This record gives sequence, C-alpha cells and structure tokens, in this order.
Amino acid sequence: MPNHQQLDNVRHKDLRILAHHQPSFGENASYGHVYLSEFRYVQGEYPILFRKNAETAQFEAIALFGLAAEENLFMEENGWNACYVPLTVQRRPFLIGFQHDNQAEPKPVVHVDMDSPRISKSDTEGEAVFLPQGGQSPYFQHINSVLSRIHMGHIENKIFIDTLLQHDLIESVAIKMELHDGSKLEFNNLYTINEEKLNGLPAETLHDLHKQGYVNLIYMVIASMATLSRLIDLKNKKVIGS
Amino acid sequence: MDNSIRIITIVGGGTAGWLTAGVIAAEHLANSEQGIEVRLVESPDVNPVGVGEGTWPTMRGTLKKMGISETDFIRECDASFKQGAKFAKWVTGADNDAYYHPLVLPQGYEEINLVPFWQQHADKVSFADAVSFQGYLCEQGLAPKQNTTPEYAHVANYAYHLDAGKFALFLQKHCTQTLGVKHILDHVTQVNAKDNGDIASVSTKNNGEITGDLFIDCTGFNALLIGQHYQVPFICKKHILFNDTALACHVPYASDDSPIASHTISTGQSAGWIWDIGLPSRRGVGHVYSSAHITEQQAEAELRDYIRSSRADIADDLVIRKIDIKPGHRALFWQNNCVAVGLSAGFLEPLEASALVLVELSAQMISEQLPASREVMDIVAKRFNEKFLYRWERIIDFLKLHYVLTKRSDSDYWIDNCKAESIPQALQSLLTLWRYEAPWHHDFTQIDEVFPSASYQYVLYGMGFETQQRPTKRRSQNTQLAELNFRKNSELTQKLLSGLPSNRVLINKIRQYGLQKI
Repeated sequence: MPNHQQLDNVRHKDLRILAHHQPSFGENASYGHVYLSEFRYVQGEYPILFRKNAETAQFEAIALFGLAAEENLFMEENGWNACYVPLTVQRRPFLIGFQHDNQAEPKPVVHVDMDSPRISKSDTEGEAVFLPQGGQSPYFQHINSVLSRIHMGHIENKIFIDTLLQHDLIESVAIKMELHDGSKLEFNNLYTINEEKLNGLPAETLHDLHKQGYVNLIYMVIASMATLSRLIDLKNKKVIGS
Repeated sequence: MDNSIRIITIVGGGTAGWLTAGVIAAEHLANSEQGIEVRLVESPDVNPVGVGEGTWPTMRGTLKKMGISETDFIRECDASFKQGAKFAKWVTGADNDAYYHPLVLPQGYEEINLVPFWQQHADKVSFADAVSFQGYLCEQGLAPKQNTTPEYAHVANYAYHLDAGKFALFLQKHCTQTLGVKHILDHVTQVNAKDNGDIASVSTKNNGEITGDLFIDCTGFNALLIGQHYQVPFICKKHILFNDTALACHVPYASDDSPIASHTISTGQSAGWIWDIGLPSRRGVGHVYSSAHITEQQAEAELRDYIRSSRADIADDLVIRKIDIKPGHRALFWQNNCVAVGLSAGFLEPLEASALVLVELSAQMISEQLPASREVMDIVAKRFNEKFLYRWERIIDFLKLHYVLTKRSDSDYWIDNCKAESIPQALQSLLTLWRYEAPWHHDFTQIDEVFPSASYQYVLYGMGFETQQRPTKRRSQNTQLAELNFRKNSELTQKLLSGLPSNRVLINKIRQYGLQKI
C-alpha cells in the first residue's frame, strides 16, 4: 500500500532517496507513460505507442518496456539498461498531489511515497532531498523539474492526441511475433500512427501540424517502432536463457 | 421533359421521417451541389406517436452510415444497450416461466445446427444458455461492450433502447445541420396530382406548394399520401395478432444508480403482454392487449400491478397514456411516385421491435435503389412492394409464433391465439416441418431476411417446442463438433461475465468520457 505524504522540509529534512534502479524495487511494469517533451529521447530506446486508459478509454502515449505483463526487459541486476529513463520512472518515489485549499484551482504539490523501497533506511546511502543547511539538493531540483514536466505533459499530450484523433491519424496495430523457443506473442490493444492517412494529409493540415511542432513528434513515434527489434532480442535472450 | 429524380420530399417528421431523410441524404449527398435535394415538411401541430423505444442491431449500422457519433447518440437520446428480450410468463404463466431471445447467433451457427444435440440435455440447460452467453450477461445486467471498445463495435451483439422523442429531435438536428436536409415546418393542406396520377406537390399553409420528384409518406397513422390521397387499401391483421390497444407510462428509477436492464422484459398477461424497457433516466413500461378480451380498466389494473412489484410507492400515481393500434399494413407501399415508410405503411404490435427496423430497411432500399428517372420508378416500386409484402408476412409469422407455442389456457386470449384459423398457412406448414427438423439456414432463403432462422430457434426451443430426432444418422451430425461448440460457449460465458461492466457503469462512463471512434 502506498503511503503518500505531502513533502515537508521539516518532517522530511533527513529524507534520502535510492535513485538508482534495481529489480528489487519492484518497478517491473511492462510499459510507462511518456510525454511529448521527452519523445526525442524515448524514441531511440523504446517503441512509443498509444493505448486506451482502462478507466476512461482516453488514449495515452506509452513506451514499451516488456512483452508480457509485469515484465521490464530493461531492468537488470545492475540497473536500467538504457541511456534514457522516462520521466515517470525518474520521478519515483515522488509524485504530484493536489492541495485543495481556498483557491478555486487545486494547487499541485510534491508528495512522496514513504512506503517505497526507494526510501533510504540509512543516513549515508542515497541522494539527500534537502541540504543540511536548508534548501533543495541538486537531485531534488532535478526531481522538481521532472515533476513539472510531467504535470505540463498531461495537458500537452492531451492536445496532441486530440489533434491526431481529429485527423484520423491513430490506428490500431496488431503486434505479432514468434520467439526463438517457438512461442507466439500477440498484442491487440495498442495503437500507432496511421501512415497512410498521414501521407494523404492536405498541405494546409500538414502545415498546421508543423506549426504546432507535431510533425516531428509524429515521425518520432513512427521511428520508435524500430526499437521493437531490440525488445524482441532482449525477450529472446530471456526465453533462451531460461 | 426532364424526368430525372432530383428532389425527394418527405411529408412528416418523427423517427420515421428523420431516419428516412438521414439515410437518403447521407448516401445521396444532399449537402452538396451535385447531390440530391431532400426536403422534409413537418406539421408544427402534429404530435408524433414516437414508435418503439427498442431497436434492432441494424440501428448501429444505420447511425454510423449517417455519420453520427455513438457517444453523442447515447448522451442525447437517453439511449442504453439492449441485448435481446426476455419473455416471462408466455409459456405456462408460472413465476419461473421465462426464456431469452438473445441477439447473438448460436455458437458455431454457420457450420452446425446445435438443436438436436441440445435436446439431449434439454432437462439440464435452456436452449439459449447452451448455445449463447447473452442470456447470462442479461441476467447480470452487464453491458455488451467495454468503454475501450470503439463506437458501434461490440463484444456481444447489441441494439438500443432509446427515448423516441429525443431521438427524432437528435436526428432532425443532424439531418439539418450536417446532412443538408431542408426542414419546412408547415401544415400540409392539399395534395396536388399530375395527369399521370403522380403527386406534383403538396400545398402548405405558409410555404405555398412544395414540389418533389419522389414523395415519402411519413405521416404516421394519418397516412396522408398513401391512404387519404391514394386510397391504397389497409389490410387488417387483427384476426392473427389480436392486440389493438396499448397503455404506456414512464416509470422513474428508485435511485440514480439503479441497474439498467440490458434487455427488453416482456411479461405475458391475461390478454396481452407488458413491455419493460430500461433507459438511463427511466423505464418505459406499457401494456399491449386485445380489447376484445379485457376492458381498459382490467388492462390498467394489470399494468399497475406489474409496476407495483418494483415501485409500489408510485404505481398508483403514474400517468398512463392510451394508444390505439390497428394491426395491419397497406396492400402496397409504393404507389406512383409516393412511398410509405413507418406507421403510414403499417404497424403490428411492439413485440420484437419490428417498427423501427422496417423504417430502416425501407429507407435503405429506397436509398440504395433510388430510381434515377421517373421512367424506371415503377420497376423499383414493384420490387419494393414485393420485398416488403414478403417482409410483413414473415414478421407476422414470427410474431404469431410467440403466441401459438403457449401452453397457457388460463384465459380465452391464449386459447384463441392457438386456434388454427388465427394462424397463417405458411406458419402452420413451418410448424409441421419443424416437428421433424429444427429450423436452420434453408428455412429462410432471402439474403436479407428480417428474422434469421436463429431467432426462430430461440423462440421455438425457449418455449419448449419439440422436434423429433431423425430415425437415421447423417454424416453432418457431428457430435464432437457440437460438444466443442457447447464448450466454447461455456468458456466464452465465463470470460465475458468477468470482463464486462454493468450496463449502468458503462452508460455513466460514456456520458463522462465518451467512446473512441477507433
């Protein structure tokens, strides 16, 4: 059970975070949400796809980490085996909560999951959140910027995806593969860019998309599919090795 | 003289008028210069009857083709999902007497007729439950899809329950704002004929003469064009289908999160039956009965009794509206340059929601085979008349089937329904045949039959009809394949029961988030 507490520089003044990655942290989700501001880095490492949120049926952008439930093929004993780790992973164990005070708009504030295995039990191990003399550590300044990019990312992603839907640029994709041990995998609930529709867009529409900075992003999503072969390689190594 | 068909004038709004307008306008590009012109003249003083709050699965295709978003439709028409009908008290009248007519075909229907195999287990499992999962879903009040299922796509085949009044307004908005239908709110005062008997125009109170190359009569029971003008005879079917009166009312839910039934509940009474249709905001409940068998007071008492079982607190206060029904149809539907769609063409009774589907089928055929010129219109009209006479006959047979298989003898109504003189000859022959061979694909041979043979199976074997086993073996009688399909159905049932949300939960989610188009 997560134990979310609003971050407080008095209550949490000695808080230290294990910021590296290891399997025992249990962060083995087979995908993670990704945001427009990181597409450039994500696309070189992970396939970027869309899926429907199970609760709301709204499309979300995700990066695939594995090819089975609870499988993260990038997670190795000595860390996360990729040059770029997505923001939603970097942020852990911090998250954005909302403070409901007298203001009309709930205010985003930083929370921390005190039950996360990333909470350091020692006073030397891990990254300090606050400096001894007060103030935020460089590590936590980085986390702050990660959280703020995620916060902005929600709305940026929504506008981007709504635009794609408006132009029928999203289509479902069936990913099928046969592994070296002869087993077959099939994913049906994933979506990608409809390249045929994209190529048929009128010049004005394309120009509008370009002005919004979306053309680059669209091609990054398309290009990211090339990284699927690496994921399959990792999976094959795993099935052969076991 | 130019005989090309360029202007279609629909007289009468309501669901029939607007559905027909929408189907034709969408296909024939009424919103473009090159397309056909579709006009709809609707009297501001006429109150539409609003036939049927139940549709068929065909409505999904009809709405989709018109370019309507299913999310908008569900939100604006107070629509919910319908997965078939449950018939209670139609066989013995006992409290545990009920069977389902689901909308999915029996498992493996394309390759195997499961009836003879099911009959060997008929004491353990109902026909519908042995061959389909849908009755189970309905019993649990589950939806036919998930919120991640795209618009109009299904996990389990489905139709809709809807608010007919809201539906007509919703279609009107879509037709006029998107599809380019011209809406004329005016009262038709006169029909003006040409020398050849065609309708040249209709005169209106404030908009003068409104011309057209083809006129569509959607004026409801008035049948202004096909009946009053052309005097096409009406063929009464009351000697087969006795119900001639309906008492209808709206029943509010006890609370906002009361379950919404995922099927029409049809409960046999002493001289008719009661429909119970769950919309998101209320139930539509009504008693359709034969006035030759009981009085209006008795019918009303039975209706209030029925409502009392779920809403004893309000059953006596609900306002009840009376609707007269003349069961039957026109001798012809297309005369000269005028075709009747909806109640003007005919109406039988609400059983099996055949009214709206006939509107859809009529609009579809008019649209698909729309004559390009007056010169070929009579050929299309002849086809149309033949096709729809056939369809009305098949619908009458199928509706009558629900009555003739009853074992009830507690009132004259049920006894009279089983008398041979009230049963059409074609149905009698089929019933004889089916005593020796269960219905399957060869019984209904037209490619676009209204009721597939599967529907006959569900009603026949739901009502305890017995088909004898053939005395000799057949190669195609493959027990293994049958067992495989029974097992498949049972696995599918378990999977869907755990994977589908309730009807109420899904409707709420659609209202909040909407469905995706893909």
